[in-house]
Amino acid sequence: MLCLQGWSSPRVGFEGSVQPLLKAKCVSCHGAEAAQAELNLESHQTLLKGGKSGPAIFPGSPETSLLLQKVVSGAMPPVGEKLTDDELQILRDWIHQGAQGTSESGLLITDKAVLPILQMRCVTCHGKRRREGDLDLRTIASRLQGGRSGPALVPGDPEGSLMFQRVAAGEMPPPDMLFANNVKSPTDAEVETLRKWIASGAQPAPKEVVEVRESESLVSDEDRQFWSFQPPERPNVPTVKHARLVRKPIDAFLLRELEKKQLTYSDEADRLDLLRRAYIDLIGMPPSVSEAEAYLSDDRPDAYERMIDRLLESRHYGERWAQHWLDLAGYSDSEGIIDADKVRPHSWRYRDAVIRALNQDKPYDRFIAEQIAGDELVDHQDLKEASQETIDILASTGFLRMTPDGTYSPANGSLAERMTVIADEIHVLGSSVMGLTIGCARCHSHKYDPLPQRDYYRLSAILQTAFDPYDWVPPTERLLKVGLASEWKEAQQHNEPIEAEIKRLEATLKKKAEPYRKQLIQERLAKLPEPVRQDLLRLEETPSERRTEIQKYLAKKFSAVLKVEDHELDELSPEFKAFRETTQKSLTEAKQKLKPEPRIRALYDMGGEPSAVYLLGRGEAQSLLERVTPAVPSVLRSGLEALQVERPWEHDGSSGNRLALAHWLTQPDHPLTARVMVNRIWLHHFGRGLVETPSNFGRTGARPSHPELLDWLATEFVRSGWSIKAMHRLMMTTTAYRQSSQVGDRAAAEDPENKLLSRMPLRRMSAETLYDSILRVTERLDATPFGPPDQVTTKDSGEIVVDGTKKGWRRAAYVLKRRKTPATIMDVFDLPQLTPNCTERTQSTVATQALQMMNGDTVRGHARFLAARLIDEFPDDREKQIQQLYLQTLTRPPTADEVDAGLATIDDLSGKWRSHLENENHDAPRGYTARWSALGSLAHALLISAEFLYVD
Amino acid sequence: MDMKPTPRKVSRRDFFSRISDGVHGAALATLLGSDLYSRPSTAAAATRIHGFQPRKPHFEPQATSVIHLFMNGGPSQVDLFDPKPTLEQYAGKKAPRDILNRLENPQQAGNFLPSPYKFAKHGECGMDVSEAMPHLAKRVDDITLIRSMYGEHFNHEPSLYLMHSGRTLPGRPALGSWVTYGLGSENQNLPGYVVLDDPKKLPVNGIQNWQAGWLPPEFQGTRFRSEGPPLLNLKPEQDLPSPLVQAERDLLRRLDETHRGQRPRYPELDARIASYELAARMQVEATDALDLSQENEKTKEMYGLDDEQTRSYGTRCLMARRLVERGVRFVQLFIEYQIWDNHSELQKGLEYSCGKTDKPVAALLTDLKQRGLLDKTLVLWGGEFGRMPVSQERAGYPSGRDHGPMGFSIWMAGGGIKRGYTHGSTDEIGYHAAEDRVSVHDLHATFLHQLGMDARQLTYKRHGLDERLIDQYPARVIKEILA
Repeated sequence: MLCLQGWSSPRVGFEGSVQPLLKAKCVSCHGAEAAQAELNLESHQTLLKGGKSGPAIFPGSPETSLLLQKVVSGAMPPVGEKLTDDELQILRDWIHQGAQGTSESGLLITDKAVLPILQMRCVTCHGKRRREGDLDLRTIASRLQGGRSGPALVPGDPEGSLMFQRVAAGEMPPPDMLFANNVKSPTDAEVETLRKWIASGAQPAPKEVVEVRESESLVSDEDRQFWSFQPPERPNVPTVKHARLVRKPIDAFLLRELEKKQLTYSDEADRLDLLRRAYIDLIGMPPSVSEAEAYLSDDRPDAYERMIDRLLESRHYGERWAQHWLDLAGYSDSEGIIDADKVRPHSWRYRDAVIRALNQDKPYDRFIAEQIAGDELVDHQDLKEASQETIDILASTGFLRMTPDGTYSPANGSLAERMTVIADEIHVLGSSVMGLTIGCARCHSHKYDPLPQRDYYRLSAILQTAFDPYDWVPPTERLLKVGLASEWKEAQQHNEPIEAEIKRLEATLKKKAEPYRKQLIQERLAKLPEPVRQDLLRLEETPSERRTEIQKYLAKKFSAVLKVEDHELDELSPEFKAFRETTQKSLTEAKQKLKPEPRIRALYDMGGEPSAVYLLGRGEAQSLLERVTPAVPSVLRSGLEALQVERPWEHDGSSGNRLALAHWLTQPDHPLTARVMVNRIWLHHFGRGLVETPSNFGRTGARPSHPELLDWLATEFVRSGWSIKAMHRLMMTTTAYRQSSQVGDRAAAEDPENKLLSRMPLRRMSAETLYDSILRVTERLDATPFGPPDQVTTKDSGEIVVDGTKKGWRRAAYVLKRRKTPATIMDVFDLPQLTPNCTERTQSTVATQALQMMNGDTVRGHARFLAARLIDEFPDDREKQIQQLYLQTLTRPPTADEVDAGLATIDDLSGKWRSHLENENHDAPRGYTARWSALGSLAHALLISAEFLYVD
Repeated sequence: MDMKPTPRKVSRRDFFSRISDGVHGAALATLLGSDLYSRPSTAAAATRIHGFQPRKPHFEPQATSVIHLFMNGGPSQVDLFDPKPTLEQYAGKKAPRDILNRLENPQQAGNFLPSPYKFAKHGECGMDVSEAMPHLAKRVDDITLIRSMYGEHFNHEPSLYLMHSGRTLPGRPALGSWVTYGLGSENQNLPGYVVLDDPKKLPVNGIQNWQAGWLPPEFQGTRFRSEGPPLLNLKPEQDLPSPLVQAERDLLRRLDETHRGQRPRYPELDARIASYELAARMQVEATDALDLSQENEKTKEMYGLDDEQTRSYGTRCLMARRLVERGVRFVQLFIEYQIWDNHSELQKGLEYSCGKTDKPVAALLTDLKQRGLLDKTLVLWGGEFGRMPVSQERAGYPSGRDHGPMGFSIWMAGGGIKRGYTHGSTDEIGYHAAEDRVSVHDLHATFLHQLGMDARQLTYKRHGLDERLIDQYPARVIKEILA
């Protein structure tokens, strides 16, 4: 018999080897008496049971066994002698060999041991939505009832139970369907567990208390006292010495802290600096020359406030601020995970929905409800005709559909991988809306925050009606067939002729291949005995839908004979090969031209009862601990309303789970929701959050620098009706925001890191802002909003560039965000890797940025375009050209020195360009081209200068 | 229109006088940080700039640079490094359940398949290597072969992520990023982590193989091309004469220095100017580093540059040596897509892959050794997993083998690793790592150890937690293979 475990180390016994070493090194703390963390390592049975953090070991898997991890890392034993390498090896070997006790342990095998096996191996086809052979294996009752072939389970009689028989014989799961169904056959140990369970009478799982009470004890009242778990209270606005500097209450809070250090604000920024700052902040692009002129000539006292209002009304505002939210959602136009990095053809609807929601200033509580539960606000099953508004609400649920997801591929769709998708979405939810690192509690209770592992699974249970790992819909099919009537019509009209062409091409190819195929099969059949040959010939003539059972059997049995690969036909005829290749190329091209029908990549309930949710030991699918029901983290429960789940409509298509969660999150005195959001808005205006860790308001996160200000803002946010635009207006019209970025000596000494905001920080543009700004100031921007993203092209050099439109290039928001092919010019400026999302951007200053900006053709091309425009506009006035160039790119006129230097530079560069053109034997009129190129060089330098990139 | 320029209040000061300028001198020193233990996190890290200054490791290192010869696709251990005569006995027998269970393509499972290659003992150490790798066979006295590696996933992408970044998920920093984050690099005019990918095709997972994840982005691998200009946009895309390029560069520097002079307390502006200067130096240095015309004919021949079959990989092996010679910390070679992924046509596939790489790899070992570089250079050869002892049968093709993550072989050389040593074994059919099993985390820990770093102490703060290459996994330094 083949030794498949492949384990040739000597067998390690529990009593002989393992027990003594545990006794020597572990049992003093983890014995029956002490049982730290509820873990008792004295007997085989209690060891298998594990403790508070789940099972101590997974038989067969040393790497995932907590016990081994702890001792290998040196974390255990915390005091006294560590384990020796030899002892470690003993433990490793023993667990690897299956962690057997000396005698069969007396543990009763219940349905709880069997359920994970069936869930991993069987219910994909015999479960909720698919019920092959009318069989549902999810519950004992349904197993007893069985399917078309009779009861699946006969308690006490494994051999008489179909579900055991077929599994033991290796017939189920069907070997030829494993790959397609993303299923692996059970291991021998699992088959044995199944047998034992049936033999011992098919005991149900022990009755469990599903209530939340017990877990409450895991979170103490002291835990709840932590600042961020207490509802914000509105503080009084302090009085300060520099009262004339207080434009808004925010200023009073800030000045109070500054004055404690005898500091105050720096001077008001220059008007043009302020203008550029506001534009970059709110719409992500600098003002045009005429906008700057209009602002400067507005001498009303509230000219600045009016300018802010104008920007908030600009549709470019949503395009800029959506990016901040899309980072949190992890927005991407591709699935990631596997190399194919499949494009998500429909995710742009989510991007558009966010842009429109922000432009409409949708109240944040409503915004959150749509993001988390738009499908429970609009009934997609009862939608007569979709409007843009209903589409946007449904598409908003794309919020929880954006993380990397490779589960459409059978090789990457295991149960564990599905659970990772859910974990990623919980991370998105926790880090963006709640400011909690709740994802940490997937495998163990949170190490620092009062978030027991249970809380993770309770949140997971809220999502289970939509994301059921045992009833999985691949991401590429988890789509709603909803679109505007006009979109349906357009797609249909566009596709009809292309589909006809595809049919024609396929038919031609088939016809052309037929004689060669026949020839090849004839040759193969000639080698078979006569009767078989006749049968197969007849089979060949019969179309598949008219074949008899016997013929179907034959077709399967002789599939190798009958199946013909393209390359085999190619060998028969080079002429056919050429024809096939051209035709297939045309086919691919035609298929690429097809317009996808409208779909929404949404999150929506699957209807009916989802699978039960269990707390998973170490986060592993095979380790079911106790059952949990939908609930919110217990540390946040005091003083708040509980989760109130109601079905949004009569039919059972939606549970109302997520809508309840959204409502719970947006209660006016929720400790986190408003605080987390105002802190983010603050971060994007002032370059640093009041809480410096915007996605972690827990114990390991930073404490607020201005706690009262944060609470004042949070309560003000709710009072304003959760208006995000009101918050922009409030923050941007403070004296704080209008300060210059110059750092005074005192400020440098007393507030070196600018935590007190003694000046506005100098900030670098983000990748997208830089990209958009270059397009706008060089007049290359195509401002067309919305719709499917613009494509990118990988050049031979490896550089990835954005494809232009007829009118130029669209904003970064509308460029394809495929994980594999980020546009290089943005990528070098620190585009985030969305794994699964990005809660805060980082900035690097590296040489590749310099190379891209100096040597890449993209920016140089835009600069030359701008130079040509300037020459057209001011043909003979070189001074004017320079004036305009500065105004347009840097939002300021040049100094007299700069004009002079500019003129000299152009003269110098013109000379160099001219000799270059002469050497190259250029056809272009040299004088003109040299001058144009020189102005282009100057424009290029300004576009890639520090002054352009950094915002005062 | 009334737009008056606003002169800045502060005049320009010299860059160097500000380095020692109180708070901001200190801030800049932090930005250029050189201490492995007290690395600034979050806000500070967000503006930290040029991080390749050499840093002291945790303890005395055995190796100071790394060449990682990554073999995409999963080289077949039983056909190259791990002879299994037992397979002859089982030849033609059906695979049992446990093996079927581990196949990517169970529907194409064939029977046990003995290797078509003969094995022989080589070198003074008598290491078994198959006839498919005649050149490596001559160098076995320089390497440690590990036959007991095991992975966690049966498919490429997750296994690549595991091998390169410690978990089966995307988004974590690559090994090379960790190493340069920990140690910086010896040469400030070249990137510290250079990737030489195959000009024919990017590997599976593409550029994600060398990303810095959430480490500061400068630690991402920089792709050097082995054909044409080595680095993207190293030169202007249009071929411009150098006086013009120089004039443009001077213009930009004048603009930037004026800007910086008006904003004296922003050290990131110094760093920005420094990065542009580095770019200019890199243009010279990278071009020189990759200029193989400086090598003599004998060397080029040894690497197989005179032969179509070996030229591409040989070129990159030779470049790797030149980069390591110049103090680049981590050089990583990828191979065309995944040529070791021999699901069908096993022999044809292996002949192609071995033909392309065997001679250049052996030459690299010889060359490093004769130049005295091997002592301080850690060389790692291996893929993301191995292959199955049973065959895979795809209709219309000769037999191949499916992915085998349960047991596979890799080898290491130089940098304080034993010479002529074989570590660990698989079971009798070469399916499952059996004795002295080595996890990918063990391998990573050993790797860092040779470079003078403790895998558990090499951390980066993220979301308030310490992140590591080995994550929370147990990871043991494989002491048995250390010289």
